[in-house]
Amino acid sequence: MSYIVPIGPYHPSLEEPVHARLITDGEQITDAEVFIGYNHRGIEKLCMERNFIQTLVLVERVCGICSHSHALTYALCLESISGIKVPKKGQYMRVIVAELERLHSHYLWLGIALHIIGHDSLFMHSWDDREAIMDILEDLTGNRVNYGMVTYGGARRGISVEQKDRTLKMLDKIEESQKQLTDFLLNDKTVALRTQGVGVLTTEDAIRIGAIGPHARASNVPVDVRIDAPYSCYDEFDFNKAVYHTCDVFARVVIRCLENMESIKIIRQALDSLPAGKINMGNKIPVIKPGEYMFRHEAPRGQLSYKVVTNGTDHNERVSIHVPTFKNAPTIPTMLKGNSVADAGLIIASIDPCFSCMDR
Amino acid sequence: MQEYRKISITKEEIVPLAEKMRKNGVILAMIHGYLNKDGLPNISYEYQIEDRIESYTIEGEKELPSITPVYDLAAEWPERELNELIGVVFTGLDTSKRLFMPDSMMDGQGQIFVTPMDELIKKAHGEKEA
Repeated sequence: MSYIVPIGPYHPSLEEPVHARLITDGEQITDAEVFIGYNHRGIEKLCMERNFIQTLVLVERVCGICSHSHALTYALCLESISGIKVPKKGQYMRVIVAELERLHSHYLWLGIALHIIGHDSLFMHSWDDREAIMDILEDLTGNRVNYGMVTYGGARRGISVEQKDRTLKMLDKIEESQKQLTDFLLNDKTVALRTQGVGVLTTEDAIRIGAIGPHARASNVPVDVRIDAPYSCYDEFDFNKAVYHTCDVFARVVIRCLENMESIKIIRQALDSLPAGKINMGNKIPVIKPGEYMFRHEAPRGQLSYKVVTNGTDHNERVSIHVPTFKNAPTIPTMLKGNSVADAGLIIASIDPCFSCMDR
Repeated sequence: MQEYRKISITKEEIVPLAEKMRKNGVILAMIHGYLNKDGLPNISYEYQIEDRIESYTIEGEKELPSITPVYDLAAEWPERELNELIGVVFTGLDTSKRLFMPDSMMDGQGQIFVTPMDELIKKAHGEKEA
């Protein structure tokens, strides 16, 4: 007999509000539907009522995890519309914070996934490393969540010799710890039983549905905006696209581990070759020309896109925000089919969803 | 730096363009839309071609053909979102179930009508309009 099992919008196995209806046959999920919009805050409308400086502060609050990504992408749109050139050092500072944010986000996801899997000691291991990254973010920017690092035409803060040393020291510690964590994750029986062959999204389905970011890369789809359409000096760093082929939850775990190592590599290179000079435009107030632009940034969860329309005033005519979860959430029903109800929470979490980002 | 090109198209060109793009393996990055100052929709289909975005834009049309049969879920969610939020009708798109809006607010298609706070308070207390 077929039953409908509702999950959410508020449920102990979900980190954020989303509603899924699972159509089940016994313990097995035969079909599923996903409904969104439970955390809509009218951010796009608010952006139209604020000036560019206020909007930069506002968009940083779309998400608590990838806050820098939002501010960066919005600033890149306006800079592209107005032809504002960002000094190299400013671009490097933006990349350093973006990659620290990716590390912090990936460790957060690993911790949550391991907690759902039921491996709480590895969850604590992962979040201990995340704590060290957040300490460095606080050291560099003054904040642990909304860093306020981006301004039009550059970055707000540079980096001192002492801060650079502390960051490099932290990276050494994290790198060693990540190797241990990867070793545990690849060889642990509990992790294997809960993740291998679970929530499969085939390469064909990932392309058909339009999955992006680490979620797509875990389904063997090599997409990464940092390499495919480089911006902010990403083409000056040597790093690889992490891709894995098993297409299941295990692949999503492996991808995060691989990407953490790549991010460490990028931050090291950026710190070692940090150019001298200005980090922003100084006291000049940027003039934003009328126009429109869509910019893409590889946020921790995948491609984040902003489309901004300006009209020559100091207000936005339109700001349209589309986050990776909006592209990855439609894959949830496909992944759920054929799995057991007990795995539904883990499968939904495996896309690294940010529903507050998506509902905006 | 990522390149962005805006190209105007007509309603009739939407589906053939989507079919051509799909055939060439082009990714549909997003379908964006907003209401302009006259309250008319401005819809743009953003295709990701190598390192650039080609934005095919159509203005002033309230009814457009759906490209969900061509791009599947990659187009379905953006179309459903635009249908619920700015009331654009996509011919051929299944809108029998909500995606973004609460069921109670899905009175057909249309824009979100925000109930002012003072009206909500009155409703909560069972008060009627004076």
